[in-house]
Amino acid sequence: MEVGIDIIVQVLVWGLYAGCIYILLATGLNLIFGVMKVVNFAHGQLLMIGAYVTFSFFVVSGFNPYVLLAASIPILIILGVSIERLCFRPILGTGKLNEIFISIGLIYILENAAALIWTDEWRVIHSPFESITVPLAGMRIPVDYLIIIVTTAVILVALYSFLRKTSLGRAVRATSQNRKAAMLMGINVERMDMLSFGIGAGLAGAAGTLWVVSGQVFNPYMGSVPAIKAFAIVIIGGLGSIPGAIIGGLILGIAENFTIFTVGGAWKDAIAFLILIIVLVIRPTGLFGESGE
Amino acid sequence: MRRELVVFSLLLIAVALFAGCTSQPAATEKIKIGVVASLTGPASTTGKDVWESAQLAAAEINAQGGVFVRELNKKIPIELVAGDDESTREGGQKAVSRMITQDGVDMLVGGFSSAVVSAHQSIVADHKVPYIITGASTPVITRRDDVDTTFMFHHAPTTDDSGGQITLFLNDTVRPAINAKFGFQETRPLRLAVLYQDSPYGKGHQTAIKNTIANNSLKIDVVAEEAFKMGESDYRTVLTSIKNADPDVVYVAAFLNEQIPIETQAMRDVMLNKLFTAVEPNDDPDFYSGVGKYADYSIVQSRFSPYTVPKGPTEAASMKFVSDFDRKFGGFPGMMGVATYEGIYMGAKAVENAGTLNKTRVRDALAGLRMPQIVEAMQGGMITFSPDFRESKFDLTMEQLVWNETLKETRPHIVWPAGLAETQFVLPDWFVPGKA
Repeated sequence: MEVGIDIIVQVLVWGLYAGCIYILLATGLNLIFGVMKVVNFAHGQLLMIGAYVTFSFFVVSGFNPYVLLAASIPILIILGVSIERLCFRPILGTGKLNEIFISIGLIYILENAAALIWTDEWRVIHSPFESITVPLAGMRIPVDYLIIIVTTAVILVALYSFLRKTSLGRAVRATSQNRKAAMLMGINVERMDMLSFGIGAGLAGAAGTLWVVSGQVFNPYMGSVPAIKAFAIVIIGGLGSIPGAIIGGLILGIAENFTIFTVGGAWKDAIAFLILIIVLVIRPTGLFGESGE
Repeated sequence: MRRELVVFSLLLIAVALFAGCTSQPAATEKIKIGVVASLTGPASTTGKDVWESAQLAAAEINAQGGVFVRELNKKIPIELVAGDDESTREGGQKAVSRMITQDGVDMLVGGFSSAVVSAHQSIVADHKVPYIITGASTPVITRRDDVDTTFMFHHAPTTDDSGGQITLFLNDTVRPAINAKFGFQETRPLRLAVLYQDSPYGKGHQTAIKNTIANNSLKIDVVAEEAFKMGESDYRTVLTSIKNADPDVVYVAAFLNEQIPIETQAMRDVMLNKLFTAVEPNDDPDFYSGVGKYADYSIVQSRFSPYTVPKGPTEAASMKFVSDFDRKFGGFPGMMGVATYEGIYMGAKAVENAGTLNKTRVRDALAGLRMPQIVEAMQGGMITFSPDFRESKFDLTMEQLVWNETLKETRPHIVWPAGLAETQFVLPDWFVPGKA
């Protein structure tokens, strides 16, 4: 069967869109891991909460859901800080097993809390721009996807600027590079833990909003699959590496969608782990990881 | 203090033991029906409908004094036991095992998802408990030969029934309409794309379509077959793949949470100006509100709709059931709910016919059951189970959805079969046929 360039472009756009969601999720996860060396298995549930926060504000206020990024990101930052303070800080350094079980427990707590608050029915909202399309390579692409791609880029540039240009950001990076040295330099590393967990949760909240705006359905149990993909991306890109999470997210999003197009939808999830195996065999530390991390 | 604690504990144990002894005779004075429902997990919306509909049926029967059991020479009430399968295979096994071995249920009713039901069938077979399955749709449920299914009765349209009927409708109604409108030859085959859930349910539909085409020599070409993982939410690429195959109609075998994004993304994002068909579990208020205008002119198969009732002998019963359910629990009971409601009545009737709670005799009574249709229209107007695979047969309808500007949602109109049709099937102006 012949495949036109327009169809290829369309698949590429879907891949970029999927990659954006993955990048936001994986970047947050990586930031948390980089600073705290904690693996938060409940990170997908933060995306789910972000989706519900957007949904609730949209239903109550009728605001443009993109504007509701201004609500979902701060609320998730507060939630992330609370989780770090109440759940992870007390057990930090007591063993990986405790961290793993705390985060697994959080999955159930967050899912059940969401089901209690919002019920476990599938929800969907429609973007106000859903009928607007723009021409691209002979196709008409819904403007929502372009907004989502641009929004993700803006968030990542803002994160990059924060980490590179501000003293607080430099302190976060220092903690990530060498926690003990950062402490000796007078950096309050516990504050950095709180900050990185908050930013990570905020990025998951942004991913939740963009998920909702794109017209995808969601319920309290929808967070696990995106989280698994985010973990795969973190390993593909290299543990603790934010550029790795970005490149890994893009690779996975595009590879997944071209796999669906060529091999079939049943292979969608398998491709993430195929890429993971290939990357680990060729470069065990991931694309941007450094040995010893 | 310590001695007092020991005495108190002994007393507590004694009370518990006596309580157990005294409650034993009472256990035979009621019919215990275990309801297998997904009360938690992804399918919990349907599970809630199943459990509440069972409660409604039991309450109605108990309000009439219960079920007459000849052996006891009196009427006894129904007691329902909830078995939450947690929307998982393992959860279903735990729930069914508990209801049979600990709660001592006399029969089971319910069961949603072919995969979940398949996983706990062996437990039911081992204990020989009559089971009226009202949710799973794969015909394999009562046809498999690796498990003794003789105590299991299937009261839900199978994927063979649903898939066969939709395919016949496409051949008989949609294909001629396309050929006539676009001036094609009458012999031009319909170009059909199949988008199915990668599960026994989805594959059952895929098989039914192919068998129906082959067995009836239908003029339908399957131009694309695409699978997706259960619970998937992003269908853009798979729909782009279907767009590349250029079909006339896209047959979707999906659950409600999948059908909504499929039709939305197809129309909004991929701009797939083709006709879509949905299978019966999607005829639900949540589908209409979720999919919005994107379902305009699409086709939904149905046997129990929230917004249209087929004219005929079940019309009044259907409206009463919906109204009673809404009054008691609020909302619409859904297809799995109504089948479970009927399942409780069927179980009660089987006990009455058997005259005993003996499980083998109740099973025999179910096998020979012949009772008038209750809410859903059944073939021949009667609920019976086929002698070979113990399947009941439904009268299914095809609906076309039309946008209602006042309600800001689509509403269904029955277009098939001819005897029940409210209006004629129409092709929308935006429809573009595939290139033959």
